[in-house]
Amino acid sequence: MKIVLSEDNEILRKSLSFFLTSKGFSVDQFSDGQEALEAIKQNSYDLILTDINMPGISGMEITQYVRKNISPDIPIIIFTSSGVEQTELDSFDIGANEFIAKPISPAVLLIRINKLLNIRL
Amino acid sequence: MKNIELPIPHNEAERLAALKRYNILDTLPDTAFDDATKLVSYICGVPIAHISFIDESRQWFKSEVGIGVSEVPREISFCQYTIMDTKMVEIQDTLLNDRFKDDANVTGGFKVRFYAGIPLTTPDGYNIGTLCAIDHVTKELNENQKNALSIVAKHVINQLELTTKNIELNTQKKIAQRAVLAKDSFLANMSHEIRTPLNAIIGFTDLLSQTKLDSTQRDYIDSVQIAGENLLLIINDILDLSKIESGNLNIDAQPFNLKKTLKHVYNLLKVKVPADVEFNLFLDAELPETVIGDQGRLNQILVNLTGNSLKFTQEGEVTVSVKKVDETEDHYSLRFSVKDTGIGIPEDKLNTIFERFTQAEESTTRRFGGTGLGLSIVKQLIELQDSEIHVKSKPGRGSEFFFVLTYKKADHIETENETLQKEDLGKLKILLCEDNALNQKLAKNVIHNFGFELDIAENGQEGIDLLSKNQYDLVLMDLQMPVKDGYQTTEYIRNEMNLNIPIIAMTAHSLVGEQERCYDVGMDAYVPKPFKQAMLLETIKTVLNKDIKHSVKRKVNLSFLDEISGGNPDFKQEMIDLFIQKIPNEVAQLEEAFSTNNTDAVKKLTHNMKSSFDIFMLEDLSNYLSVIEKEANAGEFTTESADRMNILHCGITEVVKILKEL
Repeated sequence: MKIVLSEDNEILRKSLSFFLTSKGFSVDQFSDGQEALEAIKQNSYDLILTDINMPGISGMEITQYVRKNISPDIPIIIFTSSGVEQTELDSFDIGANEFIAKPISPAVLLIRINKLLNIRL
Repeated sequence: MKNIELPIPHNEAERLAALKRYNILDTLPDTAFDDATKLVSYICGVPIAHISFIDESRQWFKSEVGIGVSEVPREISFCQYTIMDTKMVEIQDTLLNDRFKDDANVTGGFKVRFYAGIPLTTPDGYNIGTLCAIDHVTKELNENQKNALSIVAKHVINQLELTTKNIELNTQKKIAQRAVLAKDSFLANMSHEIRTPLNAIIGFTDLLSQTKLDSTQRDYIDSVQIAGENLLLIINDILDLSKIESGNLNIDAQPFNLKKTLKHVYNLLKVKVPADVEFNLFLDAELPETVIGDQGRLNQILVNLTGNSLKFTQEGEVTVSVKKVDETEDHYSLRFSVKDTGIGIPEDKLNTIFERFTQAEESTTRRFGGTGLGLSIVKQLIELQDSEIHVKSKPGRGSEFFFVLTYKKADHIETENETLQKEDLGKLKILLCEDNALNQKLAKNVIHNFGFELDIAENGQEGIDLLSKNQYDLVLMDLQMPVKDGYQTTEYIRNEMNLNIPIIAMTAHSLVGEQERCYDVGMDAYVPKPFKQAMLLETIKTVLNKDIKHSVKRKVNLSFLDEISGGNPDFKQEMIDLFIQKIPNEVAQLEEAFSTNNTDAVKKLTHNMKSSFDIFMLEDLSNYLSVIEKEANAGEFTTESADRMNILHCGITEVVKILKEL
């Protein structure tokens, strides 16, 4: 399974990437939203993991672009540390499948990923 | 034929508006519509059928059989004529129809020979689209088929209406949920704001009541005290409720003495028992001494339920009983019951008594007082402990409220600390460092009431001067002071003067992490202002009684990193190195941005740093970042945030030091 991970915080990105790789996923990681989106356009990923606040473009914009132009059903998980409820509502409104508030529990992330991928099988 | 004027309905603008309202154009396929289209094809026995909508320029197919395109230009569509009509348009043979016999889609294209279209009419009368059956051969629909088509068309419109209504409902629901949240946070903030001055009122009334008063004055003061405490109860109720609603109320798991707690509740309420009521506490002989759970919340539940029972019982008895109902290797299940012979609750009210602001009788509030929040809180507190509350009641006979709570067994028996009596402390000499005159006065009175001596220093420096001249048993230290603040003063006392005199911090804003910082610089205890006399005395006793001073040191919790790295030591080290390498730098950048009031940079830095802090589980420091980020978003930093930056700096320095030593 191929996952694209876009998160600008280096420690978190490397940690998540290490964790997911250890669970058998192949992870492409990006610290810049625009670069992540370019990769999404060029490859076919099974799942998109994205932070909201990033240099380049935001996770919201990535989600919107993917839903509008690439695929209505590739699973997208958005995570953010913003405690604002509107952010969560907006995430679902624009078509994210899951919303995870930071700090991210690796176990919870894994379960959600599996859930999303199983549903598609 | 080509120069025929295209048909435009007279109400075209309104019609388009009606269409837009449904948000149907360019939506994804939907089974409900696909089914309807198939039905049309079956009913009429035709190879082509569709449901379509017509906007300014095109006919868009929501669902189709046998067409294979998603839209066609409006000017070539047959249906542009159908929407001009109010009823079904049937063309049995297009070759015999003057309008269509030369049409490109008759002579070629879709080869339409037979066409039946029925307008899709909204409840307010606009034809926004069509439902069609099309064939390549001539055909004539019978009455049943025609009726069936109009019925399907009606269903399609109903389906549209339903979807739109559902979306509207969802939006309304979101708005409602947001409103509830806003209200809860308003309640929480307000209660907090009200509580602060109220504490001062209660504190000074307390002091006033201990002065010499004549009987009228005593009477007045008693009333103020009762009213003040009632008001505090109500505000605490509201605060609790909003905490529960917002998910911010946690259930403690600490060992506590069960029997003592129950007796404490009993003694607390004994004074409120009416003359003709017998008040009992029945404890199962098998009841464990100590359990692990939330003592404070059990207390609150029982005081609330028992308080209610006593309020509603004029004669007879009120009985609190606790029984062990189950015991496993590591848990006890205990059944708590509060039973009375009071006015009881009518059966039809049993369900609503746990709702907020509801009491069994409309007039109850006036007769018996109370906020109507108590039972709602009790119910939720019990549910937070994975249980539920039950009630049995008969009007005129009485009520019983009961619930079963499961507590973990305590490993070891709690050793009982002999509580020090005030007399045991002797005549203490205390030094107060405090700049606010009002607080000085309050503290002075309280300390004199305890029978201790007190010297007052206006600031930290003066405190240090006094300490080097005189002998003291204890220092009470305000945190915000001119010249030298509480932290600096304590550091000086500990590091330069090398004194281990107990120091108790006193502060008005009980911020997360502040307590920790007090311990970090070497203070022994912490009392939030406005302090309660009993609490201050208790703290004084504790610090004087402390034989071994265990300073609270920061611990770095790597369990998250362990989990995420699956215990891989190399990866862990890599992340630790990254932290050591990056974070002090980022803190420095943040300090720079903060001091130059660059809110944008502060926003970005705090937001990004939070993720790093979370991985190292520096919850308190992460909270500071959130507060600073919030202030940056609001565009203005409060003076407290300068303190927060300070704590952040110290905290990270310490964390880095610990990480380097690992």
